[in-house]
Amino acid sequence: MIPRLLAAALLLSGCAAARSDAPAATVAAWSTRAVPEARGDVKPLPDGRKEAVRYPGWTKEDFSAFRTYGYGDARPEPAVQKAEPPAGIAGDAKRGRALFLSRAKGPCTGCHLVPGADVWPAGNVGPDLSAIGGRGLTDAYLYAQIHDPRVTFPKTSMPPWGATGALGSGEIADIVAYLQTLTGPIAAETDVDRNPATRRRPTGFGDNLDPTNNPAVVLAEGAERLWAERGAAGKSCADCHEGGVDRAMRGVATRYPRFVKGYARVMSLEDLLTVHGPERTGRALPMESDDNVHLATRIKMASNGLPFAVDVESPEARAALARGEASFHRRVGQRNHACADCHTPERGANKFLGGRWLADVRDGLTRHFPTWRTSQNQIWDMRKRMQWCMTPLGMNMLPADAVEYAELELFLTSFDHGKPLSVPGIRH
Amino acid sequence: MQDIGKVRLRVPSTIKAGEPVRVRALVIHPMERIERDAKGQVIQKKYNYIDKVLVTYLGKQVAAFDTTQSVSENPFFSFAFRATGAGPLKVTFLDTAGGKYEGTADIKLA
Repeated sequence: MIPRLLAAALLLSGCAAARSDAPAATVAAWSTRAVPEARGDVKPLPDGRKEAVRYPGWTKEDFSAFRTYGYGDARPEPAVQKAEPPAGIAGDAKRGRALFLSRAKGPCTGCHLVPGADVWPAGNVGPDLSAIGGRGLTDAYLYAQIHDPRVTFPKTSMPPWGATGALGSGEIADIVAYLQTLTGPIAAETDVDRNPATRRRPTGFGDNLDPTNNPAVVLAEGAERLWAERGAAGKSCADCHEGGVDRAMRGVATRYPRFVKGYARVMSLEDLLTVHGPERTGRALPMESDDNVHLATRIKMASNGLPFAVDVESPEARAALARGEASFHRRVGQRNHACADCHTPERGANKFLGGRWLADVRDGLTRHFPTWRTSQNQIWDMRKRMQWCMTPLGMNMLPADAVEYAELELFLTSFDHGKPLSVPGIRH
Repeated sequence: MQDIGKVRLRVPSTIKAGEPVRVRALVIHPMERIERDAKGQVIQKKYNYIDKVLVTYLGKQVAAFDTTQSVSENPFFSFAFRATGAGPLKVTFLDTAGGKYEGTADIKLA
């Protein structure tokens, strides 16, 4: 017994010495229990390039060059660059307009309105640029502003397009030439939905708990089979948690994400299933597998109507919340964006990003997750939603069960404290 | 699929006599179909899909729908009828394997 303990202690201390990705002693090392496409792997290609492994249909572009939410990622934000327009290159306004609207680039219209019936949907996170060319701003100013707006506005939400290489100098010159043609006057709107200032707010998709309306309810109810089916260890969930899912699991989901002592880390219900399921029943429930998401949804449904009551008081929870809040404000990826850019009312929340209405973190973003996504025909948990959020920001995903995501999820859930669960949700 | 044949019916909570009412009905059913290979040969002969939906209101059949195997898994049907009195609205699903699945909604007039 003693040698084993000693060996374990040595092993632990060895881990602690080798581990550099943990900010605090309370975050233990972890190896991912996610399905392969949810692990954020980067695969080298035969020609030397690298390809990011993501979900089917998602981009494979590798963004290793840009910083992530990883606690071990100590890289700073991209350095602020003051840029001059390239000498002797005249921008092409027509090409500039195409770039401004291109979904393969920004699109700049995601945040800025410009004239034209084909500009749809434009957002209003940034200022309306419909008459920017009439303001007498110099080409050099506009060029520097697009290259890296932090030169003039240190706290801006706008990405440093040139400084991170997302736009080349010729492309920026083209966009500047286009913007200078927007001298007004602004034509009267013929379509209220073209202008985000007058666009109608999106309405919902009806009763999210109605199985004839939300396919996720039917999928989650299908997981009752998993609840009752014995795994390789000869046990089922129902063997220990008696009385059916609704009785046995009532209120459980209101306490997650929480710090789980046994694993020494903050875990959501989905996280817990990845380890608790196989340990007790012998059934694998990897993160982002259908079984995991459907069963987690079904378990959360047992708490519908009950208020969230996550732990925000214990020392572990407070430390995790502080790290989650730091992640929320941390600028990451090629776009150098933070969650706060889109989801706080001082910045993008309650505005349109393209055609999408940006939710306000204070209203709570988590209590309808996992949610049915009508645009994807899939049920998504919070983690996949986070991974999806971060991909267009030009950031490589972390594993779906990364503690960074768990603590960010805890921070988001803290805004839902006292508000009732309504799972599964239904969103576009 | 453990819940095969589970019928979910939704009707509005307030219904006025003589007004049209929209009914939403969902049945859990795999809707297994015949599959063919590239040459058109049948490779899976086991099929079982809903081919008839009957609607009964106040003891009288008010509608019948013939459906084919092109309807999706866990099919959803929505239809309207005129509520003339309080009583049960029954929707019956019949499949090609002889299964009969029923759901009843109680129509209450406001």
